Amino acid sequence: MADMTHTPPADIDLYRSRALKIGGVGLLACAIGFVVDRDHFFRSWLIAYLLFLAIALGSMGLMMIQHLSGGAWGVFRRIFEASSRTLPLLAVLFLPVVLGMHSLYPWTHPDHVAEDEILRHKAAYLNVGFFLVRALIYFAGWILITWTLTKWSRQQDEGDMSVNIRLQYLSGGGLVFYTFAATFAAIDWIMSINPHWYSTLFGFLFVGGHGLAALAFTIIVSTYLAQHEPMSGVLKPHHFQDLGKLSLAFVMLWAYFNFSQYLLVYAANLVEEVPYFIARTSHGWQYVALLLVVFHFAVPFFLLLSRDNKRNPYRLVWIAVALLVMRYIDLFMLVTPEFASTGENLHLLTGEHASSLFVHWTDLAAPLAIGGVWSWMFLTQLAQRPVMAVSDPYLREALESSGGH
Amino acid sequence: MSVVQEREYDYVEGAAAGAVRGVPPVIAPGHTFETVNDKISGVILTKRTPIGWFLGFAIAFAFLMLLNLTIGKLLMEGIGIWGNNVPVGWAFDIINFVWWIGIGHAGTLISAILLLFRQQWRTSINRFAEAMTLFAVACAAMFPLLHTGRPWLAAYWLFPYPNTMGLWPQFRSPLIWDVFAVSTYGTVSALFWFTGLVPDMATLRDRAQSKAGRIIFGMLSLGWRGSARHWQRYEMAYLLLAGISTPLVLSVHTIVSFDFAVSVLPGWHATIFPPYFVAGAIYSGFAMVLTLAVPLRKFYGLEDFITMRHIHNMTKVMLVTGMIVAYGYANEAFFAWYSANPYEGYMMLNRMTGPYAPFYWSLIAINAAMIQLFWFRKVRNNIPLLFVLSLLVNVGMWLERFIIIVTSLHRDFLPSSWDMYAPTRWDFAMFAGTIGLFLSLFFLFIRFLPALAMFEMRTIVPEAKLQPEHHG
Repeated sequence: MADMTHTPPADIDLYRSRALKIGGVGLLACAIGFVVDRDHFFRSWLIAYLLFLAIALGSMGLMMIQHLSGGAWGVFRRIFEASSRTLPLLAVLFLPVVLGMHSLYPWTHPDHVAEDEILRHKAAYLNVGFFLVRALIYFAGWILITWTLTKWSRQQDEGDMSVNIRLQYLSGGGLVFYTFAATFAAIDWIMSINPHWYSTLFGFLFVGGHGLAALAFTIIVSTYLAQHEPMSGVLKPHHFQDLGKLSLAFVMLWAYFNFSQYLLVYAANLVEEVPYFIARTSHGWQYVALLLVVFHFAVPFFLLLSRDNKRNPYRLVWIAVALLVMRYIDLFMLVTPEFASTGENLHLLTGEHASSLFVHWTDLAAPLAIGGVWSWMFLTQLAQRPVMAVSDPYLREALESSGGH
Repeated sequence: MSVVQEREYDYVEGAAAGAVRGVPPVIAPGHTFETVNDKISGVILTKRTPIGWFLGFAIAFAFLMLLNLTIGKLLMEGIGIWGNNVPVGWAFDIINFVWWIGIGHAGTLISAILLLFRQQWRTSINRFAEAMTLFAVACAAMFPLLHTGRPWLAAYWLFPYPNTMGLWPQFRSPLIWDVFAVSTYGTVSALFWFTGLVPDMATLRDRAQSKAGRIIFGMLSLGWRGSARHWQRYEMAYLLLAGISTPLVLSVHTIVSFDFAVSVLPGWHATIFPPYFVAGAIYSGFAMVLTLAVPLRKFYGLEDFITMRHIHNMTKVMLVTGMIVAYGYANEAFFAWYSANPYEGYMMLNRMTGPYAPFYWSLIAINAAMIQLFWFRKVRNNIPLLFVLSLLVNVGMWLERFIIIVTSLHRDFLPSSWDMYAPTRWDFAMFAGTIGLFLSLFFLFIRFLPALAMFEMRTIVPEAKLQPEHHG
């Protein structure tokens, strides 16, 4: 190891201020969107929000798995930690979703619920009060887990090895909480946009998306860190190969979940399930679906099979960027076909309506706003700690193993 | 700065091996290439077979004869000797099929996925876990085949002859996909298992005292001389087979889950079925590996090779996959309500309070509540307790399939056709018979073939780690 201080790269402040500027411009655009096209703004905000939440939560999940499994990926732990420590900011950024509940979620309209038997049945779960309480529980749990784990991780840096076993116990329990909370969050925030539709696999799809987004993001940050001291002496091709392999696994998992869900719903052709896919395979949305099949699965699948592509960070990073873009489009596809191009939720309109393919300018503004502010927060967190967890019990293994045998 | 350096020094000393965390080694200290060979080949090349082996084999063989009797009766009289009735057209046949196929999955996971992940602890358990997979697939295949009543005619439904009649084989049915999935699975598993055995066959050939032993093991070792070229090709073949087997871990039980999930039956049609079935398969498979490993290491004195590390890791895999299964139960229950579909709601109510409710709650008690014990290191260290728990997991996973299949069928959409299902003595005889087949094959395997991969075990003894420039 070249530098024992493990201070983050010097130019991190430059990127921080750039991120903040981009975020500022994006927020301004969003403010305009809020004034002139409120329904579109809320929808776009939700989608962009889910992307960055996925990176943070996925990082939290990977951090906990790393504590439990050990192994060579301890060198990425600080990236996972910095990314999951953005959760308080994400809790604040959730407020526009709360403000926009009325335009996002049909079940918040009492008159609509009153005339819909299914929504009356679901009202015990889908009601504004309980929705807010649940969101509070999810965020409180996630933030508490992250803060405790990262605090202990810092103590481990300082030589307190008694935290090792506690890190494992909390990670075990934390993963259980995370999975259940994320499942219900997926129901609350995405599934209930179309309040009649349901799919039992949806929680897994949501969590799998977190893993992929977090891995892609970790590849991007690692490529940046690998260009500078001290990580340039630490991160070796085999570390990138490991991230590439895990990304490949998550790409396949994404395809597996989506294919299973699609096949089962298509084959059964039930009136309560199949409209979801009819909406996404007609009126122009079928092209987005095809785009996802090709660029969220087929192309990254073949690119990531190559050992050379995985071991070369300058190639891998472009695959990772593309995967993050595809994650955004996938989330876009989960949400947007439930809305009319005027921005209203289709399920609030009376009569037969179908959504036709559309993109609104707020769909560009919201990711810029949230992405900018979020990246600023991430880099701030990354700069606060040594960029490597120097006392990770598996560090020696991580630095030595060639990955080739 | 200096603090960091000091601590790194500590870690070079102790923690990389996991000493700080109290992780036991994958092989007990003190072993060399020679002791590994002696210990494992000694079980096979000895003239004296332990009396316990004869006793165990005799019991297993008796059940195998019961299987033959049942099959004879079945072919003479037809599947009317089973308890299947009109609403419950699928019962023990498919319950046991899914149960056995699921058990096989641990072998494939251990041999393929853990190999690709470079998990050293797979080494001492992969061989017998793979054998277990093969035997489990053999038991599983028997049920759907015999459910056809006249298996010699089954080719008519199953084999992909030109589909001019447009009826059979029905390629849109997952049942036909099952035929391909399971036969691929059986073939690849057998190839993988045999390829792994070749270098060990050569060791046995070289060490065999009897002429018959030399000839038989000599043929099975395919002329293996252990040259660098042999090893290079062997490694290549083994990795390729591992790559081919990996998707099978997911695909086989995914297709088994499709058997149910493509239907429109409440309790069967759920999009979560594929991953939930796969997790359940691995969970039950690891339980069976543990069930077999505990007596195996005890009676053959293999505690040095199948160490507490293996037991801990297997328990942890069971905990993770068991939690996914428990998540599946919670998920099903929640969505039965959330869907606002009266049929889904009734299905769940029927499971929880209907005539089969004791089975439902038993499976929840085992697969959701009892597995929480695996969180505790004390439990993971208690081998007799783990043995009992692993048997219970096997029971729990059997009950899960019973509940899924029987409760959804016995009260379907038309209340006038509701009925109860009860297995007959022939159902039980056939199930017990396949257990007899499985155990008989397993007894023969541990007597005549190396239950642990000798040459792979040799790579994990300290001797193998010596390198020219190794620092002191």
